[in-house]
Amino acid sequence: MDYKLKHNEEVIALAVETAGDGLLSATVGDKKMEVAFARISENRLRLVVDGRQILAFVAETSDGKAVMVDGRTFLLADERTTGTRPRSGAASGPKLVTPPMPAVVTQILVAQGQTVEKGQGLLVVSAMKMDTILTAPFAGVIARINVAEGQKVAPKQVLVDIEPAAANEEVHG
Amino acid sequence: MFKKILIANRGEIAVRILRTCREMGIATVAVYSDADRQALHALEADEAVPIGPAEPSQSYLSIDRIVAAVRQTGAQAVHPGYGFLAENAEFAARCEREGIVFIGPPAEVIRSLGDKITARQIMQKSGVPIIPGMLEAAHDPAAWAAGAEAIGFPLLIKASAGGGGKGMRIVHAPADLAEACRAASREAAAAFGDGTVYLEKFLPKSRHVEIQILADHKGHTIHLFERECSIQRRHQKIIEETPSPALSPALRAAMGRAAVAAARAAGYVNAGTVEFILDPEGRFYFLEVNTRLQVEHPITEMITGLDLVRHQIEIAAGRPLALTQDDVCSRGHAIECRIYAEDPQQNFMPSPGRIAFFQEPTGPGIRNDCGVYAGFEVPVEYDPILSKLVVHAETRELAIRRMLRALKSYAVLGVKTPIDFLLDVLASAPFQAGETYTDFIASHFADWGPDRQTLELAAIAYVADAMAPKAQPGGRPEQAARPGPWQTLKHWRL
Repeated sequence: MDYKLKHNEEVIALAVETAGDGLLSATVGDKKMEVAFARISENRLRLVVDGRQILAFVAETSDGKAVMVDGRTFLLADERTTGTRPRSGAASGPKLVTPPMPAVVTQILVAQGQTVEKGQGLLVVSAMKMDTILTAPFAGVIARINVAEGQKVAPKQVLVDIEPAAANEEVHG
Repeated sequence: MFKKILIANRGEIAVRILRTCREMGIATVAVYSDADRQALHALEADEAVPIGPAEPSQSYLSIDRIVAAVRQTGAQAVHPGYGFLAENAEFAARCEREGIVFIGPPAEVIRSLGDKITARQIMQKSGVPIIPGMLEAAHDPAAWAAGAEAIGFPLLIKASAGGGGKGMRIVHAPADLAEACRAASREAAAAFGDGTVYLEKFLPKSRHVEIQILADHKGHTIHLFERECSIQRRHQKIIEETPSPALSPALRAAMGRAAVAAARAAGYVNAGTVEFILDPEGRFYFLEVNTRLQVEHPITEMITGLDLVRHQIEIAAGRPLALTQDDVCSRGHAIECRIYAEDPQQNFMPSPGRIAFFQEPTGPGIRNDCGVYAGFEVPVEYDPILSKLVVHAETRELAIRRMLRALKSYAVLGVKTPIDFLLDVLASAPFQAGETYTDFIASHFADWGPDRQTLELAAIAYVADAMAPKAQPGGRPEQAARPGPWQTLKHWRL
């Protein structure tokens, strides 16, 4: 079976063959590895990869599986489950006014109907003592402000709708 | 001695303080905001008092609510930890007025040392070397220009009420001076309610070395050696160690004497830290005094064997400091790594969320001062520190190896942490050579990315996790993994 695992913006392809109970061989790129594996508990796995024993820790999170090996943690998601979604997120992502992490809106710098330049500060969000200014991804007019000061917000949530100044601006912006 | 202490803080530092209180037989009161109902500090204390909504200004920073919690529980003293109200002179003064013991220096000392210009004047008068620069506030372009001419470029604009890098600007040319001063002043006014700025010489290749001091009410003052804290991101320390690889015994003694002189000049009482900038020629300059328990105090505890919180409490209770300078000795080497919920690949952006799985490192010479647990939701409202991983070993080299081992077995899943970044910093040649300057991360780790080989192993683990059957829900999920004593004990007798 083939796996396509997403890590950040990258896809890692694995060709996996099962070789009996608790045994598999995995090919990544041109490297083939023989693996024995066993579940120790819900979050712990024992792997033996080409003779080396490795304890791996795995936990489900809202964005995929967090996997820790040798002190290094990676957030991996199966392309088959994430890839079936329309890829609009990636294409329109930078165009949305959305916080990079869960945060609290501390200041709204614009008003509805106001004309804004590309890069102009729209609102300030604060997470864990760090302030981040969210800026206009393109020039336009503020169509709607969807949040209030003091409100908790999360990534992918659109905080401000902007009507683009001109259609071609949006395409190239 | 006090019978009950209220800890006006949260997270790992509140947990650390209440543990010493427990060892001393002192009852503890935790305070918690709505976001912290299930926080470790609130769960571990003898009593826990809700003090309001998640917003710090309405809970952990609210002097009225903290004082009310003290009254309600009958606590005799307040330990402020670090951050929040720890260096708030008004809070210390309020405690003094209300007959509550503030575990820290007197309000007047906090006030004068909290103002950087005043602190510089105090140090200069008592012969402690200060960074060349202004000794008075400057409010207009003419004064800034005159100051800059005397100091030379590059120079640093600093906010007199400042901290945490706010209101700070590096200026390389006279043309940029006035605008940078105005911007720094605006930022300082917004952050601290005081826009006063001053100028000092910028020392580009420098280290941050601080000296821990202890002083009792009689003026008996000693130092507990240094901590090297040069590895920083966004002007915040992430790795600290002691001894500093840059200090000779003679320089250590000189800096220790300067720190004690600084504390005496300020009338200091309780535990404090005198921060210095150390240049490559071994010249050191006073930076500021932190009038609180430092985040990185555990490394000093490791090499001296002293419990700083215990000494803070004893001094606050009016006991004389029994230690003399000659009683204090340093053994081995200690390193601390701060484990924040943050993403080293996204410019150390905070990464709040639920901790899905958590396993702390253990073994010889390892201490983890921790404020979280598996299942805990790390709130967005507060500083993202999860824990401080501290190791102690015979030498610097062995301490580095021990820290690498500890980091490799530290599993924090669900929020991002800098653990893998820290692994690479500790394993790097410049760190191992002790070339720790404040520009370290910008110089050596600006383009850091995760390790490829381990990523492939993690991908294999992902697949194995998908293929290995999970225990039936409702069954006894970990039965196979956790055999009882009747399975594991072999030959034994009573």
